Amino acid sequence: MTDRRTLLKLTGGAGLVGLSGCLSTTDDGSDGSDGSDGGDGGDSTVAYEIGMVDSQTGSLSAFGERNQRGVDLALSMVNEVGINGRDLDIVVEDSESENQGGIAAAQKLVNQDGVPFLIGAVGSGVSLAIYESVIEGTDVVQLSQNSTGLNLTEFPGLLRMSPSGRSQSLALSNLISDDGYDEVAITYVNNDYGQSLTDAFVDAYEGEVVYNTPHDQDQQSYSSVISEMNSSGADAWLFITYQAEFATMVNEVFSSGYEAQFYGADSVSGDNVLENTPEGSIEGMKIVVPSAPVEEENYQSFADTFESEYGRQPTSWAAYAYDCVINAALAIQAADEFTGAALQDTVRRVSGPEGETVTSFEAASGILADGGGPDDVDYQGVSGPIDFDENGDPIGFLQVLEVQDHAYEGIDFIEG
Amino acid sequence: MTVLGYLANGLVFSSIIVLGSIGLSLVYSIADFANFAHGDTMTIGAYSALVTFGAVGGLGGAVLGLPYGFFLALVVGIAVAAVVAVATEKLIYEPLDVDSIGLLITSIGIAFIYRAVIQIRFGSDFTRFDVRPLRPIEALVPYGVRITLHDVAIFGSAVALVVGLHVLLQYTDLGRKMRAMADNPDLARVSGIRTKRVKLWTWVIGAGLAGAGGVFLGLFNQLAPRMGFNLLLVIFAAVILGGIGSVYGAMAGGFLIGMINQLTPFFSNVVEALPIRPNWLATVIENMITIEYANAIAFVIMVVVLLVRPNGIAGEGAT
Repeated sequence: MTDRRTLLKLTGGAGLVGLSGCLSTTDDGSDGSDGSDGGDGGDSTVAYEIGMVDSQTGSLSAFGERNQRGVDLALSMVNEVGINGRDLDIVVEDSESENQGGIAAAQKLVNQDGVPFLIGAVGSGVSLAIYESVIEGTDVVQLSQNSTGLNLTEFPGLLRMSPSGRSQSLALSNLISDDGYDEVAITYVNNDYGQSLTDAFVDAYEGEVVYNTPHDQDQQSYSSVISEMNSSGADAWLFITYQAEFATMVNEVFSSGYEAQFYGADSVSGDNVLENTPEGSIEGMKIVVPSAPVEEENYQSFADTFESEYGRQPTSWAAYAYDCVINAALAIQAADEFTGAALQDTVRRVSGPEGETVTSFEAASGILADGGGPDDVDYQGVSGPIDFDENGDPIGFLQVLEVQDHAYEGIDFIEG
Repeated sequence: MTVLGYLANGLVFSSIIVLGSIGLSLVYSIADFANFAHGDTMTIGAYSALVTFGAVGGLGGAVLGLPYGFFLALVVGIAVAAVVAVATEKLIYEPLDVDSIGLLITSIGIAFIYRAVIQIRFGSDFTRFDVRPLRPIEALVPYGVRITLHDVAIFGSAVALVVGLHVLLQYTDLGRKMRAMADNPDLARVSGIRTKRVKLWTWVIGAGLAGAGGVFLGLFNQLAPRMGFNLLLVIFAAVILGGIGSVYGAMAGGFLIGMINQLTPFFSNVVEALPIRPNWLATVIENMITIEYANAIAFVIMVVVLLVRPNGIAGEGAT
């Protein structure tokens, strides 16, 4: 008994020492990563290894699941062709949808695996945390797959594939005004994403915001929120939250018998919402989503491949993650060497407006293989034209969806 | 919405929390550790019911808007949660020769394992029981009470389970043994009670009630791998408020916490109506008592109660 306790204490202690070892690499990590990059570059048979921080578990794991399908699909596209005869390999680490988990994952990828290119993360707060504590000051490229929070714009070094939420907020305020509502009740998820979109909305909206209250994620009941929205007297209700929370609210609105015109930001839409809300409960709801150009041919072929592989339509989140991988692969092929510094230079140029317009990795890779430089290619992604501006934000397309017969119908396109 | 409406919502939400807190308190009093896997035991119950309900379907008729098949699924959910808890006790907690802190840490690990298994099988997305959603009961709407027949079913079943437990504890041989063991395990053992067997029954009852709570939570809201874990903090608050180790305290604590949580909008209306002077104080209080802080308010009340009664509502005086 005593021995076992002593042993437990010892192992516990050893664990702590091990942990503190990990943490202490934060400051001097960037040197290590440069060293190992050089090693990789010399070998011409080993796969190019990049990193990805994803929400495999935690509150945003539904996004993680979706974009992982896009990543897998893109990876198979890339490796069918190859990059300079080599494969692309993505080491995926879990952020647990939390800042701390994201930082730990990014540290492991950047400092231990020495990846020069990091795709990550989903949540805007997590992306920023990773950038500020791991990436900033190194030459590693960070490209967020799914963050739409407004304050990422203030960090030009942090690229992202999904457009900023500011354009969504503007579009929503115009939409609600145009529909003739001069009063609106808002509830938003209590984090960076919800707060920043709501603030931008309130700034832009011409009418009166009669109710504006945050709610926490993962609560088991939001009946207080919806009953207060109902008491506010507004006929237009705006939801800036996530699918699970929104589905709970809709069910509670339905079982309480309230009526209102619903509006929503991107992350309240999803098949899981339709599947888990009563038929007719969100009829006529309007949602502004960052959209892939769904009428374009390359998106449609992406959607077909996706559907035959996974038996469902892709979400725009999967399309963003897909484009992250393709963009990374092209940046690697166009760069002289496999280092962060070289990739910083090419990552914006391979999809930038200069060069020949191409819509697939194969075509773009062909131009580069024929001696073309990064400015000779303009990769048009399945999620949009991917032209990063000086703040690292893409020019996004927005689509207005309306719920008709319990399905999403696109009714309008807006360029962000 | 009227006070009655908030009270009705509170009753329904409390029912679920009470079912969760009883099991936690029961296991604490007899197995002597705070079981962090309790929330995930609720999740297991919910998902077992989901699978069963999917397999058996409605089975014809319906009571209170719920098909017969759902009640069968509820029973299966309770049973599976109990079996999993007993298996965990037999395979892990019992062979482990550690003190209650060691068991507590182990139970956190067990919680992760339960959740991971569910996530592997069902994915991390949320889902709902395939039960037709209901509109509020028309007759009650004029009174500002907006609850559905499902809510009535949740409340009714919870009351039935709680009364059943009360009868079991007070009037059966097993109940007397359990109470004896909770009071003094050594004394119970020397007086001839087979304590191991009683402990197993405790797990069966505690986890079974948790399973039922999980099924109702799924019906009330939705199913997700984190559903039970997300509720665990509130359940712990309820148990501590009631006096940890006391079953009746857990009932009272669960009831209070659930009520406070759902009554917060009413409190904030009251505060706005009160003539508080000076004005800055009124502003501060109005900003504090909003639904944003519903859980925080519940915890503040918990702390205040504990300051007055350090062992919780039903706990014995500080000794």
